Amino acid sequence: MADSAPPVLELKGVTKKFGSVVANDRVGFDLQRGEVHALLGENGAGKSTLMSVLYGLYSPDEGEILVDGEPVQIGSPSAAIKLGIGMVHQHFMLIDVMTVAENIVLGQEPVRRGGVLDLKAARARVRELSERYGLAVDPDARIEDITVGAQQRVEILKALYRDARILVLDEPTAVLTAQEARGLTEVLNRLKADGTAIVFISHKLSEVLEVADRITVLRRGKRVETVARQGATERSLARLVVGRDVMLAVEKTPGKPEHALLEVRDLCVDDDRGLEQVTSLSLTVRGGEIVALAGVDGNGQQELVEAIAGLRSPESGSVTVDGRDIAGRGVRSATDAGVAHIAQDRQQRGLVLPFTLTENLALREYRAPQFSARGWLRLGHMKERAQKLLREYDVRGGGPEAYAAALSGGNQQKVCVAREIASDPKLLIAHQPTRGLDVGAIEFVHSRLIAERDRGRAVLLVSLEYEEVRALADRILVIYEGAIAGEFPPDASEEELGIAMTGGHARQAEEVNG
Amino acid sequence: MSTLDEELQAEAEESGAAAARSPASLTAFRRGLSGVTIPILTAILAFIGGGLIVLATGHNPLTTYSSIFDGTGLNWLFPWVSGSERATAAGNLQQTLIQATPLLMVGLAVAFAFRAGMFNIGGQGQYTLGGIAAVWVGSSFRGMEPVLHVLFAIVAAAAAGGAWAGIAGVLKAVTGANEVITTIMLNWVAIWFGVYCFQLGGPLHSSAHDMTTTPVSNTVVNGAKLPVFWGSAALQGLDVGIFIAIGFAFVFAILIKRTRLGYEARAVGFNPDAAETAGMSAGRTWIRVMLICGAFAGIAASLDILGWKFDLFTNDVQTSQIGAYGIAVALLGRNTASGTTVAALLFGALLTGTSNRNINLSIDPTLVQYLTFMIEGLIVLLVSTDVITLRLIKGGRQLGLAVRRRPAAAAAPGPDQGGEK
Amino acid sequence: MSVRASATLPSPAVSRRQIAIAGIILGAIAWVITIPPIHVRSLVPSIILAVIAVCAGAWSAAGGERKLGIEAIVLAVLAVAGAEASAHSALGTLESVFTWSALVAATLRYMTPLLFAALGGVISESSGVTNIGLEGMMLMGAFWGIYGADLLHSWVWGVIVAMISGAVLAAVHAFFSIHLRADQIVSGFGIIFLALGITGYFLEYHYGPNGTPLNISMIPNVKLPLIQHVGFFGIAIGDANLMTWIGLALVPALTFFLFHTRGGLRLRSVGEKPRAADTLGLPVLRIRYAAVIASGVLAALGGAYLSVGFVGSFSNDMTNGRGFIALAAMIFGKWKPWGALWATLLFGFGSAMADRVSSVNPTLGTLFEALPYVVTLIAVAGLVGRSRPPAADGIPYVRE
Repeated sequence: MADSAPPVLELKGVTKKFGSVVANDRVGFDLQRGEVHALLGENGAGKSTLMSVLYGLYSPDEGEILVDGEPVQIGSPSAAIKLGIGMVHQHFMLIDVMTVAENIVLGQEPVRRGGVLDLKAARARVRELSERYGLAVDPDARIEDITVGAQQRVEILKALYRDARILVLDEPTAVLTAQEARGLTEVLNRLKADGTAIVFISHKLSEVLEVADRITVLRRGKRVETVARQGATERSLARLVVGRDVMLAVEKTPGKPEHALLEVRDLCVDDDRGLEQVTSLSLTVRGGEIVALAGVDGNGQQELVEAIAGLRSPESGSVTVDGRDIAGRGVRSATDAGVAHIAQDRQQRGLVLPFTLTENLALREYRAPQFSARGWLRLGHMKERAQKLLREYDVRGGGPEAYAAALSGGNQQKVCVAREIASDPKLLIAHQPTRGLDVGAIEFVHSRLIAERDRGRAVLLVSLEYEEVRALADRILVIYEGAIAGEFPPDASEEELGIAMTGGHARQAEEVNG
Repeated sequence: MSTLDEELQAEAEESGAAAARSPASLTAFRRGLSGVTIPILTAILAFIGGGLIVLATGHNPLTTYSSIFDGTGLNWLFPWVSGSERATAAGNLQQTLIQATPLLMVGLAVAFAFRAGMFNIGGQGQYTLGGIAAVWVGSSFRGMEPVLHVLFAIVAAAAAGGAWAGIAGVLKAVTGANEVITTIMLNWVAIWFGVYCFQLGGPLHSSAHDMTTTPVSNTVVNGAKLPVFWGSAALQGLDVGIFIAIGFAFVFAILIKRTRLGYEARAVGFNPDAAETAGMSAGRTWIRVMLICGAFAGIAASLDILGWKFDLFTNDVQTSQIGAYGIAVALLGRNTASGTTVAALLFGALLTGTSNRNINLSIDPTLVQYLTFMIEGLIVLLVSTDVITLRLIKGGRQLGLAVRRRPAAAAAPGPDQGGEK
Repeated sequence: MSVRASATLPSPAVSRRQIAIAGIILGAIAWVITIPPIHVRSLVPSIILAVIAVCAGAWSAAGGERKLGIEAIVLAVLAVAGAEASAHSALGTLESVFTWSALVAATLRYMTPLLFAALGGVISESSGVTNIGLEGMMLMGAFWGIYGADLLHSWVWGVIVAMISGAVLAAVHAFFSIHLRADQIVSGFGIIFLALGITGYFLEYHYGPNGTPLNISMIPNVKLPLIQHVGFFGIAIGDANLMTWIGLALVPALTFFLFHTRGGLRLRSVGEKPRAADTLGLPVLRIRYAAVIASGVLAALGGAYLSVGFVGSFSNDMTNGRGFIALAAMIFGKWKPWGALWATLLFGFGSAMADRVSSVNPTLGTLFEALPYVVTLIAVAGLVGRSRPPAADGIPYVRE
């Protein structure tokens, strides 16, 4: 392709506001035929918003979009599809109860006379595409029965079925195992060779360096810079992403582990569908240490945490907190034994959004004699304590009578953290405690977790973020397919952890320990 | 607000969509709104809608409505109404309050379930069971100490209604069966059971000699009747039931706001997952809440039976619409104690005002009765989404703002939340 | 979602499940053998069968098949009660109740209005809009059907007017639930009250206290020429109403539409995951409007059958809760047309039985009236977890 050819896609000065928040501020971006152009930035940097503008889901407040050098208006997804733009959303847009073929053809179905579906033609077309690009799928399988990796292949096939020349992948590796991620890279290479232009959205530096030809960094809604892969390093990219040298490590002294407060022995836990997600897992957390459980999402972390917190009954094995067996005895007995649980999803599990902060802050301990007696709430005490905690944890956005829904994400998380720590636990489970928070809030949560450790509590940190794990942990346990795949010291390299997290040989882990 | 977080935003959208389903979240949203303006505006809009139909069918809505108003007895409150007119007004007002009594109780039964995230459509069945129990206890145990007898009948009705609602609660807790469907089914079973009880040859059919061909229960004995305190007992004056009902509205408010059960119920209603994480059992809460709801509805029936009905015909059991009205009352009252009380009074007035004997002959009285249904339908429709009413309020406020301080309003950034505060 | 979601499912308790189903069947047989044409005049065989059924139920309940097992037990107990009743009734009485040909005919009559409304519910909920207002839409069809047939002197026009009236009321529900994102259950209730008010008001306004006229043009029955006089079949299906046949024909037609056509695929996609449909350029809101309005038309047809097809007049609230029964039938039938048919047949049979029993023993007949609701209650409790509503049912779609 001659250099003079216009880019397949060009965004000029795109601005998108939500109320007073500017999600995209005069962002420019261009994409050439047959290249992978990564869009890199932290959560909330405006990557997904930009791509939603491109896909016609949001209309931009300002700016221009050019496809093949021609200015276009993209008012709806169907307009985007017509222009040859395909999108693989982070949360898959698939219909669980329908088959692969039905999902792929939906909206542009091959039909016979009278609108009757021609499923034979659909299947044939799906097979043809899947062979051409090496995207193995079974056209007749139901989406709910196939793996996440296969679901992603279906999403890519959906775009290809619509003759996409521009393919947008939004955080495509977040849900994949390492093996599946490698498979994805191969597919992308084939697509590239075929002339497809690819936008690759990610916040992971390493994978961007692996797949992208060029990298555009977004920060707080603005484009910082576009760089070629050649010459870029993780360090240089990190500086662009964060805006300063990365200093995520919090001040912390080595832990002083005491006796074991949490003992998990041979625990087996099933998920809702009866599939075993935690397989004969054992671990120990002592007072005065932070143990980080690292792993790719979906390797049993959720079920393990739920089993320890009393939300899920294990099939077998024991969970002992300071000598009390609490396995399968419910949340209350876990709470009574001294377990506090900062839930992964603060809006879904951590808070009752329409409750006031006073009411939210009492959720863990409302049955304690301090806050209720003989069925009556002691509202005065509840409010007094709320006031104290809000001050102590510097929660902004409203007093004890404000609704939790009115707070920003960071302040909501502070409320959750305050409540759990205030219950004076022996064991504090922090499940992705900084997800979706800004840097300031992350630092706050991290320092509180360390403070709790220093007060002799046992902290079990479950995290998907490599930096977070390294910054906080005294010991790192890697969980893979429901079992502990190895134990590492906090200064273990990303590579070592990465291998363990993706099912690499446990031998290497042993070497590290040895 | 800190940085915009796309992931969180998507989450918020999802949970918002999920929340939009649950009646409890609606309640929360609406409680944030002005508690008085919206219900009043809603009612006014519905009356205008009904008036348009009256107008379209060649009647004068103004005279119709003023005739309904006089029929409610509310003109008794005007000092200039005097003489026989005043006596009539007093009688009508007594009827309005008599009607409002069970409406308030059933409204509370619906509202309490709403607060726990459940839609209790079973008010009808719970009321029916309560009525059967009340009429049985009230007409038996002749010679019992009057106060005790009344209490016994009320408690029996509460227990019967509670047990009936409890079935739906248990089914939801144990099997996850949707309470909307189960309470509807329980309503029908209750109605047929009621008919079975009082029909000729039924187990509770009247033993009086002159009632052998009428499908009716025995009559409540004098000792079990609620005392009349306004008007004459012979002319169906107002009994003390209304005070009992208002007392229960206070009980409701205290239960919701100040007790552990209320706290748990609201947490489960708003967010069962978070409630579970906090160690609450959604299932147990649902059962307890339904027991209380059923008790409210059962007591509603006992106040009717002991206050002015004194017996039950199979026809009463089959034609009663109290469950449906209770839903409308709770919805209009936004599931709060005070709102439900006001809404019960409004519907009590509407029912009395449109009943045959109160309508003057300018319009066919039957037509006016159906007008009540239409107004009720419009109210419920408007309550189902506050968008219309909100827009009106917002529009009004913005207009007002614009007139008073245009430059300041124009300069103020950010989304306008005028109507939502 | 788990990485290992595709791992082989652990083998479910197939055998226990089958035993539970066998228990249910045995329970049913325990009762069936005591009624004509078999009519065993002794309780002993029934009790033996029922005991076996209870054991089967208890065993499978203990082994994890709780709901089905308990259902088998409940059914066995009911069967013994039923067998008791049959064994103590005179043979003549039994035979007059269980005149199977007449029972089938009556079942079809009771089923028809329910079937139309339940199919309407299937369409609406498949697209993601809960339609609890079926009752109101039926009521509209019942009144305006009579009005149209009377005014235009033809049942054809009556049916057309009924369909329009149902569509209009459904459009109101659609507007509130789709555009204004109302709570759909609450909006549905509003629709019912509105329909009660409108039909009552206009009944009074147009016809006054005398009610609708007597000489209404009615939807004809279909006299099947070949089997009309053939004993059992002649009575059972030889003279059924046109609407009954249309309703039965709609079941395969709707199934074909939903699962084998472009329109059906799109409709279901909108009910399962509207955002996915939207990202593929499908007009989510328009599809939902179409589905809700179609459901209103179907429910109104059910109402029109009641008034123009069966009774020949309209009276207040004449649907008398049938919309709710249809709703239950739809859920019972797992949101599928065939399921809805079986469920409405069950309800129809219950009503037909109650009718027959009432003619012999009014007191018992009253209790029989409650039976279909009790059965639904048990079934709904037992089915949960096994049936799955459309994923987006009842959730308004918001793009941004």
